[in-house]
Amino acid sequence: MTDLILQALFSGLLVGSVYALVALGLALSFGAMRIINLAHGELVLLAAYCAYVVEARAGLDPYYAIPLALLVVTAVCAVLFLMIDRIREHRELNSLILTFGIGIILTNAILLAFASDVRTTSSPVLQDATSVGPVYAMNGEIVAFGVSLALMVALWWWLKKSWYGRAVRAVSSNRAAAKLMGISPVRTELVSFLVAGALASFAGVALYTMSVVQPAVGHALTVKAFIVTVLAGVGSIPGVFLAAILLGVTEALTVTLASSALQELAGMVLFLLVLFLLPNGLFGARARRG
Amino acid sequence: MASLDSAPAVPLKAAPAKARVPVGALIGLGLLVLAALPVLLGASNYMLGLLISALILSGVALAWALLGNLGGMVSFGHAAFFGVGAYASALLAGKLGLPVLLTVPLGGVVAVVSSLAMLPALRLSGAYFALAILAYAQIFRILATEASWLTGGGAGYQRYPGLPTVFGFDLASRTGSYLLLVACVALCALAYHAVRRSHVGLALRAIADSEDATRVVGVNSTFLKCLMLMLSAFITGVFGALNAHIIGFLEPDYAFSGIWSLMPIIAAIFGGYRTIAGPIGGAVIIYLFDQIVAKGLIAVGHQIILGFVLVGMVLAAPNGLLGLVRKRARHA
Amino acid sequence: MLRRAAAAASIAIATMLGAGARADEILVGAHMPLTGSLARSGQAFDEGMRVAIQMFNARSEKHKIRLQVIDDESTPAKAVSAVEKLVSDGAVALVGGYGSNIIGPASDASNRLNTTYITAGAVSDELTARGLKTFFRINNNAGYQRGIGTLLETLKPTSVSILASTKEAPALLAKGLQKDLTAKGVKVTVHEFDPAITDFKPIINKVKLQDRSDILMMSAYENDYVGIIRAAKVLKPPVKLVVGAWSLATPKMYAEFPDLMNNVVGTSFLPFPVEMKDEEGKRFAEVYKKTYNKEIEYLSTLSFVETTILAEAIARAADAGTLKSGGLPDAMRKTDRETLLGPVQFDATGDNPRFSVAMGQHRAGKVVLVSPAAAATGEIVFPGLPW
Repeated sequence: MTDLILQALFSGLLVGSVYALVALGLALSFGAMRIINLAHGELVLLAAYCAYVVEARAGLDPYYAIPLALLVVTAVCAVLFLMIDRIREHRELNSLILTFGIGIILTNAILLAFASDVRTTSSPVLQDATSVGPVYAMNGEIVAFGVSLALMVALWWWLKKSWYGRAVRAVSSNRAAAKLMGISPVRTELVSFLVAGALASFAGVALYTMSVVQPAVGHALTVKAFIVTVLAGVGSIPGVFLAAILLGVTEALTVTLASSALQELAGMVLFLLVLFLLPNGLFGARARRG
Repeated sequence: MASLDSAPAVPLKAAPAKARVPVGALIGLGLLVLAALPVLLGASNYMLGLLISALILSGVALAWALLGNLGGMVSFGHAAFFGVGAYASALLAGKLGLPVLLTVPLGGVVAVVSSLAMLPALRLSGAYFALAILAYAQIFRILATEASWLTGGGAGYQRYPGLPTVFGFDLASRTGSYLLLVACVALCALAYHAVRRSHVGLALRAIADSEDATRVVGVNSTFLKCLMLMLSAFITGVFGALNAHIIGFLEPDYAFSGIWSLMPIIAAIFGGYRTIAGPIGGAVIIYLFDQIVAKGLIAVGHQIILGFVLVGMVLAAPNGLLGLVRKRARHA
Repeated sequence: MLRRAAAAASIAIATMLGAGARADEILVGAHMPLTGSLARSGQAFDEGMRVAIQMFNARSEKHKIRLQVIDDESTPAKAVSAVEKLVSDGAVALVGGYGSNIIGPASDASNRLNTTYITAGAVSDELTARGLKTFFRINNNAGYQRGIGTLLETLKPTSVSILASTKEAPALLAKGLQKDLTAKGVKVTVHEFDPAITDFKPIINKVKLQDRSDILMMSAYENDYVGIIRAAKVLKPPVKLVVGAWSLATPKMYAEFPDLMNNVVGTSFLPFPVEMKDEEGKRFAEVYKKTYNKEIEYLSTLSFVETTILAEAIARAADAGTLKSGGLPDAMRKTDRETLLGPVQFDATGDNPRFSVAMGQHRAGKVVLVSPAAAATGEIVFPGLPW
């Protein structure tokens, strides 16, 4: 029994770290810019297909796809941002529709280009098992965990210490005041959107190496990313990581102790419970009145 | 200004009630005439089928817009009510043998009961509420899959009656279903209009302006928001039930599909979510455009055209199609 | 997708060139989920269908069939719309897509329009219980159950673990297998899983530490198979064989995931490489490879068979002059032929009660049929694992 639980905890940790990786980019664009990017999952998917192209068509290790994925996804993000920036009224709702439309375009483009077969890495190294004591994992998953942790730390440091990072926080906190301080809100938001895209690229490549992708997966990724972001509470980057781990572990424990048919149910119930007890998420700003 | 964060920005504002009745009534009358046209002109079953699906969407879009405008809450999970209404009506008619014309509104009632489970979510703001409702939709879907003794689980449920024949008029026929749906949409639109003009609607608009101020005056904002949630759930449940009897086969992934959550939002915003005609017109236009024009151009993957249309519309007409029309009218 | 378009274009041109001045053109419609959540199945069905029509037109002089496919986007309402559009365009028969939720309403609509409807994508028994005269299907859950059950019986395990997706077809299969095997005294543990699961390690760990079964049975879809076998490769539960259901024992699966497939058993129609005596199968594999540049796989074989049967029945009805007067269902019921799926013959409800599948085992790139004994091309490797 202990072995079962230990494996569940370990698996949950690894799966959660990938959830975090997928959610980080969304947490940035949603937290900093209040943009509901419904195309985020599709951006991750796009990066995953870049990895597929690099591995299957060029025969290289999927990690070599990271530069290509970064290029492609950030380019799409730049275009996306230019369109969002043109919205003058009802920014949140309109960006919702806009990104929904972009999401549809991306999903169908991927479907037309790559058909709907399932894709995943065929690299034996990545699929090989590693064991840490009584628990096991795939090599690809361990690497994904490492990447997720590293990116989370990097993002947190960037927001806290770097000039642009602080500018992003300033703009999201008070746009007018930031402008008065000489910060260009538009350029700052563009930067944060591009960073979100870069995070999505890493997430996509990592996803390809340890899980299967097909065009329909984009939407599910977006939903998961939103659940994690809101679960964490807006404004906390390490919170995203922890919330994602919590979600992953909850799911794995549900599978182990109860039924595997209830995995998604457990995640959703956890989400609701946290929100009811802590209306601003686990690590979000304290609730404001009124 | 639509806003989904917890900052003190105002939630979706209801459009000010028209003091002059004629304009709204004219629009309504015009739409009814438009609605009668397909039948009068003898449209094919295929065309009527498309319109039926579009009207189902417009009903849900209307309910969504009602919740957003009057209740001030944006929901990403209306599929929850849709599916509950569908299964409730199908099961009541199939297993208990109740007449379908009774089980459809009962389906709406069951959806209302299910919305009571969402009461704790009412105090969440903006995106938190939207996603909470989405979580409910997922939960209901999984519960419907698990409760296979009741719902047939993943295998689905089929042995329930379709729409009946009333006074010699077959509601299950294309024409019959279409007219029934037009009637239902019209009824719901009238209900929406009535609520908006009532003192409940006035109170809700005041809440939208400042929740604190209204609370001070003694308006129970939570109670009113709850009422709006229930009304929205009822309408969505009714349309879910109608759809179930028209399609004739239910399964959890279909009844609770994310499509029923997302497409009404798109339709409502496309048509102009602040009005009553907007969601209805938006749903019909988008659905018909997608199925007739886009599908005719690109047989597979025509949704991509829909994607481009949505993007284009947002960039060109942020207030929805109706907003665009109004702007043109003002400049003309 | 470009290749697919080019393939479709070349088939169209070939059909046009092949059609002599004498040949009459018959329209057959189809609704397939080419986009949406079922796109994987729809596209595969579509390919098999087109190859069947191409091959039929090549050998038929009097009748040429034109195929018109409408994407039903994995939703029932659009499938019904597609049915109505196709019939109003003059289709004499329809090939159905995938999923009972979609095929049910679509075949209802087709029946109301008195149009024959054949499908290979719906195993729910509720569909045949309707007793529609125009509804036909070539496969059913009972057949899959029989095929897998026969294999499991010959292996005589003491306990079996079944991992079943909660989706319609896998859940139905798992339930049936559980009943059958338990009745024969085998200990069966069923683990139902949500289709969204990507990490199967916790479940496999349960199989390893709690069930301790002889056989790991997967009732699921391609993406699940990959995840399950991967997790099993990592945890290495002490099972002796990995068995799956559809879309597993195909050359395509081996080509895409060679590290995961060795010794894995799944339902199969043809051995691979296709043998001499399977004349039709060989030709199908050749044409398919030439058109789509990939190996044949499961769903395309199913749609190939159903479309071929439909085409032949249409030819029979056209010859007898009853095609336009509603004679197609009768012509369908005269079907009695050996196919890649085994014998096909329709009963009064439209089902093919003789449907049964063979089981094939991946062996270093080949697929060897190992069960039932009559169809076997080789001995099963048992115990045999992909790791």
